[in-house]
Amino acid sequence: MFWNLLDQDPLTQTYDVIVVGSGATGGWAAKQCAESGLKVALLEAGRAVSPTEFTEHTPVFKLKYRDHSPEVVRTRPVQKQCYACMEYNYEWFVNDLENPYSTPADKPFTWQRLRVLGGRSLVWGRQSYRMSDNDLKAASRDGYGDDWPISYADLAPFYDIVEKYVGITGAAEGNEMLPDGQFLPPMKMSCGEILLRERVKAKFGRTVTIGRAAILTQPHNGRSACHYCGPCERGCRTFSYFSSPFTTVADAQNSGNCNVITNAVVSHINMDSATNKAAGVTFVDRLTRQVKQVRGKSVILCAQAMESTRILLNSSTREYPNGLANSSGALGHYLMDHVVGGGASGRLPNFNPTPNANEPQRPNGIYVPRFRNTPTSGKHSRFIRGYGFQGGAGPEFDFGAEGYGASFKNAVKQGFYNASFGGFGESLARWENFIEIDKNLKDAWGIPALRISMSHGDNEAALMEDAAATAAEMLEAAGAKDIKTQSGVEMPGMAIHELGSARMGADPKKSVLNSFNQAHDVKNLFVMDGASFVSSACQNPTLSMMAITVRACSHLIDRFKQGDV
Amino acid sequence: MKRRDLLRAGVLTGAAAALRPPITRAQNPSAAPPTNELTPAQRGVDASKDLAVANWKPLFFDEHQNETLIILSDLIIPTTDTPGAKAALVNRYIDLVLAAETHENQRAFLNSLSYLDGESMRRYKSAFRYLPPADQNDLLHAIAYPHASSGWTGDPPTTNPGHEHFQLLKQRIGIAYYNSEIGTTRELGWDSNFTHGVYQGCDHEGNHK
Repeated sequence: MFWNLLDQDPLTQTYDVIVVGSGATGGWAAKQCAESGLKVALLEAGRAVSPTEFTEHTPVFKLKYRDHSPEVVRTRPVQKQCYACMEYNYEWFVNDLENPYSTPADKPFTWQRLRVLGGRSLVWGRQSYRMSDNDLKAASRDGYGDDWPISYADLAPFYDIVEKYVGITGAAEGNEMLPDGQFLPPMKMSCGEILLRERVKAKFGRTVTIGRAAILTQPHNGRSACHYCGPCERGCRTFSYFSSPFTTVADAQNSGNCNVITNAVVSHINMDSATNKAAGVTFVDRLTRQVKQVRGKSVILCAQAMESTRILLNSSTREYPNGLANSSGALGHYLMDHVVGGGASGRLPNFNPTPNANEPQRPNGIYVPRFRNTPTSGKHSRFIRGYGFQGGAGPEFDFGAEGYGASFKNAVKQGFYNASFGGFGESLARWENFIEIDKNLKDAWGIPALRISMSHGDNEAALMEDAAATAAEMLEAAGAKDIKTQSGVEMPGMAIHELGSARMGADPKKSVLNSFNQAHDVKNLFVMDGASFVSSACQNPTLSMMAITVRACSHLIDRFKQGDV
Repeated sequence: MKRRDLLRAGVLTGAAAALRPPITRAQNPSAAPPTNELTPAQRGVDASKDLAVANWKPLFFDEHQNETLIILSDLIIPTTDTPGAKAALVNRYIDLVLAAETHENQRAFLNSLSYLDGESMRRYKSAFRYLPPADQNDLLHAIAYPHASSGWTGDPPTTNPGHEHFQLLKQRIGIAYYNSEIGTTRELGWDSNFTHGVYQGCDHEGNHK
């Protein structure tokens, strides 16, 4: 029987599934569940987004402050630390004055968030890499931390599903650290990048490959190929990069089985203590501040790693005094974010340095998969795990040219042929990196806010130091001049790859979720976003997060079919 | 016609088709976003002509500061075969931004601008804006480079105390100019199209020196 959700008041029914968060993972959870026939409510803290507000084709001189807006700095001092938070689109990012959090004075953390339908999938970097058993079973190999309760064989079919739907451009390399996937044709590399690829392979045996990105290089699933205008983070009127509102969320809605409820700032999960099951969620209407509830037979949190954990911590009951589903005590702990800050840049002298303002803008770079502590490299003496590089090479305007007058003007246009690598290192899962509720701090909706205590450790610092040295030696191998290295550790949060804080694991005494992202303590409660990660690996995590979501949903759908939810 | 041009022509046709109004996909049932939650750019506001009004008055600078900045900006980015900073109204943009910035930033900018006058008074007994062009140029040359060269004496170069001020002023002027319509289109040569075909990259793999 066709059951049209839209005919009914969205808040008077009992859904099969309530999904909290509409970003990369929440969109998938809603799509998978709704298309399987389950009745879904998808809750989003922010508003809907329309393609009419995309600004990727707005020239900078049409902006009042030419993208140097003091207004952005005033209301979004934290968000502004993200390269993608601009005068064009800052309203997509949270207002920091309404969304506070605290940290210890000596542990700064930058938390960059969007609250609009689609969340960070609207502005993400789009880089998409698989993890391998070198990551998922790293603990068995080097003795640090815990293995994941799943292996690459468990995830591979779900990577396939996600990649085929999303559309990932990339080149197969057969690299032991970076499994190949279902790729659309790769984007081209520049002359400098080809030279780097050749020299780095010859001298060091390392792979320099074109970035694997969630951008279409040919029409795919009803969306158009990339038109190379450049700034994806301002939106894309051809929907050529993957963002959830125009793909997974649209599919969920089109199934007729999903109600999207926007402006629903979820405060906590409602428990039925008699059955020890989640009964629904309570949210505050973002605009009216009214408190409302929605009922469901199961709840899936996809609110972003730390937001999902915040909801659980704010859902304490008599049975779960330290946070819902936290009998292990692990909830909030093992927070991770890739370490960044190590790398190098230089000039390649043998190529035409003069940029052309009328060239296609490739929204993608090059990538060097991890080459430290691999099965073939053997163990490094100073650190465990490793890092990958993102980078690029090409002509750029030399806005930093010396001097003044006509010669300065000319030097800017003359340009320079830049080549650079920036490392993304594994962030070790450590108990002492954690989030908790700050009892003295609430957000604009009266919901208790987080206190974040995280710092990168010695291993992360050693990774970035090594990244500076290896980036420089690779540039040197390609004949680069004026090589400048950078070996610092940026504050946690800068990679915008927050992971962990509700980790999965085989042992309910040491973890929050089982291998299907189901809370050990509460059978109908799931956390399907990055909170579930056991280790961070060094690859950009969104592709893996989506594959894990799809795998967990397929388990949940099976449970529903068997009447076991 | 070169292969590259053919590709570009073909691709541009495709891109033009792709730029028709967005395909209708399921949208959220709630109404269009309230305009107070859109940035001016997202609302389609075009501020590019705001500074060109006939009766423009500075919001932040006094008359002397404004005139000094006009002269300085046009020395740093002069008119050549393309218009320079004065034509791009760089002073008006910097005035607009500074008026909305923190007191700290405002003070730093004025401090550097005053340094210019201070040096000018010390050397020439006249404010910078009243100097003959040759003296203005000499003064700028003295602070434009990071190290004061010791020339033929062979002594190690020393840090130039005025350079920090020069850099602060130059950076503001550079941002203002290269993000202006004149800077973007006339100077950097952007043709006002957003699509220029598919990125072609390198097609001589293995032949790089």
